[in-house]
Amino acid sequence: MENLGALALVLAFCFAIYAFLGSVVGAWKDKPFLILSGQRAVYAVWGLVTLASALLLNALLTSDFRFAYVAAHSNREMSNNFKFAAWWGGQEGSLLFWSWILATYSAVVVFNSKNKLRNIMPYVVATMAVTQIFFLILNAFVVSPFQMLAVGKGITSVPDGQGLNPLLQYWAMQIHPPMLYLGYVGFVVPFAFALGSLIVKQPGDAWIHTTRRWTLVTWMFQTCGIVLGAGWAYAVLGWGGYWGWDPVENASLLPWITGTAFLHSVMMQEKKGMMKVWNIVLISATFLLCILGTSLTRTGLVSSVHAFAQSPIGPYFAAFLALGVGFTTWIILARLDYLKSESQLESVMSRESSFLFNNLFLLASCFAILWGTLFPVISEYATGEKVSVDAPFFNRVNIPIGLVLLLLTGVGPLIAWRRSSLDQLRRNFLWPTVAMVVTIGALAVSGIHHIYALMSFGLCVFVTWTIVSEFFKGTASIRAKDGLGWPQAFMELTHRNTRRYGGYIVHMGIVAMFIGFTGAAFNQDTTVEVAIGEKFKIGHYEILVKELKDGDLPNYIWQHAKLAVWKNGEFLGEMEPERRLYKASRQPASEVKIRRRLNEDLYINFASTSEDSKKAVIQAYIFPLVTWIWAGFWVVLIGTWVCLVPSKVKREFPKTEVVGIATKDNVPV
Amino acid sequence: MSRFKRFIPLVLVAWALGAQNASMMINPDVRRVGTKLACLCGSCKNTVGDCQMIGCGYSSPARTEIVNLVSLGASDENVIAKFVQREGIKALAVPPSSGFNLSIWIMPIVMLMLGLYAIFVYIQRYRRPAPAPVTVAHRFHEIAAKDLDGLE
Repeated sequence: MENLGALALVLAFCFAIYAFLGSVVGAWKDKPFLILSGQRAVYAVWGLVTLASALLLNALLTSDFRFAYVAAHSNREMSNNFKFAAWWGGQEGSLLFWSWILATYSAVVVFNSKNKLRNIMPYVVATMAVTQIFFLILNAFVVSPFQMLAVGKGITSVPDGQGLNPLLQYWAMQIHPPMLYLGYVGFVVPFAFALGSLIVKQPGDAWIHTTRRWTLVTWMFQTCGIVLGAGWAYAVLGWGGYWGWDPVENASLLPWITGTAFLHSVMMQEKKGMMKVWNIVLISATFLLCILGTSLTRTGLVSSVHAFAQSPIGPYFAAFLALGVGFTTWIILARLDYLKSESQLESVMSRESSFLFNNLFLLASCFAILWGTLFPVISEYATGEKVSVDAPFFNRVNIPIGLVLLLLTGVGPLIAWRRSSLDQLRRNFLWPTVAMVVTIGALAVSGIHHIYALMSFGLCVFVTWTIVSEFFKGTASIRAKDGLGWPQAFMELTHRNTRRYGGYIVHMGIVAMFIGFTGAAFNQDTTVEVAIGEKFKIGHYEILVKELKDGDLPNYIWQHAKLAVWKNGEFLGEMEPERRLYKASRQPASEVKIRRRLNEDLYINFASTSEDSKKAVIQAYIFPLVTWIWAGFWVVLIGTWVCLVPSKVKREFPKTEVVGIATKDNVPV
Repeated sequence: MSRFKRFIPLVLVAWALGAQNASMMINPDVRRVGTKLACLCGSCKNTVGDCQMIGCGYSSPARTEIVNLVSLGASDENVIAKFVQREGIKALAVPPSSGFNLSIWIMPIVMLMLGLYAIFVYIQRYRRPAPAPVTVAHRFHEIAAKDLDGLE
């Protein structure tokens, strides 16, 4: 039984090789039975990786500490939820989880697309199989989750495990890693279709149409993973930060940025047949950044609080990345002739141009983050001296870029496809610009002089104005034409073109998130040592320490402070922040208490007790507008769901056909 | 507190690690100077001035040191130099803008400029020439003329 998991992984590895070879040789030699057997091998891989995963889960849930992984990442007192989460809580298990998601995605793709794009499918299967082979090499031969604790010739067990890292014993941590992995792994699919299309020199945009929803869903998972991680950091780490520019956080952001750029630029290809090379480059970069992100967590290339224990898998990832970059670059260069634009840019003042600039600034942000993340390694290699690249660098570079991107979010809807006249531009920009200037002026008069905050709030109003006017004009038009009420006309408008209006909803969510980010310019904090019965102040709040209590639970011992809170003299209630000491891992953790409101959060952390244990050390923070980030996330999610709904009106995008150039000789009179 | 006694050894270790004193308090001097210094605890990417991690093994003593040096009359530059002398330039939150490390600031700008240039080239290459193309109407006229010729 204990060897069955390892055996399943080795067999899965063999079947993955077969899936690759069967598909490639079948397509090359035109042998349909080989192609079909290659596809069936994908199902076999799924079955075997699922079996291995089930065995590991069983070991975790039954606390079978003969397995080294189980002993290292769970203990008897952990709830079943966290025992389940321990599947991805450590290096070996998380790599198995990666493999399982990839196996599941591959099986779904083969099941759904086996009768579509028949010429591309063998190469799609081959690409997914190569990725699977790589991860199964790690799972089966390098960092197996089925290593046993062996003493002498026998296998022994330990009385109890070390438990999951206490910081990970939080509800969001049960969802955050799976979401991120669903995002990371999901980008394999559009990349595989893009590569397949390049290999067979498939003309047209078939791979884009086939994978559009898939890419969107994957992007949504990645978004969820990133925001859940931010929410976890905010609520668990005890310092109220939701983004610390840690290398591993950055690694999750990089493919999200290129994925976002891809989702925008792909519209140019669909509507105008332009930017074909660029789209291939973007989806390839997204996939490769997913692999890079996965490796950053595991190889110890850069130091991170989120990193797993270091292991010898760095060279494997480096080799796979080099192979991926090399092959992708070669195939793109070899197929340049098949990727020529079908139409031309008619004017610089066009929606097309705004997409170009949107992509430029997204990529600039991506590069700056990647550069800052890897710079300590590069600098040490070049100069022999270690350097730190911390939050100030990332903020200084990314805040201006973020503001330009926010501006472009508002500019896009105001510029027509193909070309806009100056008169149109003046008309469209007038009121949003007036609203922006008035907002900035009003805020400056009210005492806000933080330049980035003023710009951000002003741009948020600018973008909101443009999006709301788009909805208003469309809804009013349908209402007048079809005689519907406002809500029905709004729904009808959105349903007619879900991609466009869903996209606008996503942009509204991003605006809300920017409002939340901007609030950070006005954060307040204090750290105080207070005895029972003493009060302290932060902002408008007055806080009294009423009581300090402690207790003991099977998994941890706890100590919490009972605090009474007043705001401007009005009693708001009690808050009981807690600190814990997990017995198995002997690690402390804090359970902060947060009073969440749209205007500001009051965030209390019971940091410790004083050296004589008679006073509580309380860290209190006021985080203005931070709730807008989480609210914005939900709006982004709703917008993405709307984008996924098929539009009521099926749209064709006729590409402009140039049949001649008018000259004074051939213009018909 | 009785339940705590059973875990006194654990409590002593972990609580002592977490026990804080005035050294973790952030006064204006610490915030001003500390935001230029990296927290080198290895667990975060914050600066000494804004690191709020519980029981941080680097930022708490660093703050105490900043408070002491400033109270002795050291300027901000002197305090920072003291940290750099002891820890190397990794003590700085952002590498100094000199030598190879200048590239951390230059490269993003260079890439942005290259991107702008690429867009400029793209627009030049793919922008349609100024005269408006005659598409459907022109072809329609041609077909109509041909049909009329046929009728004649």
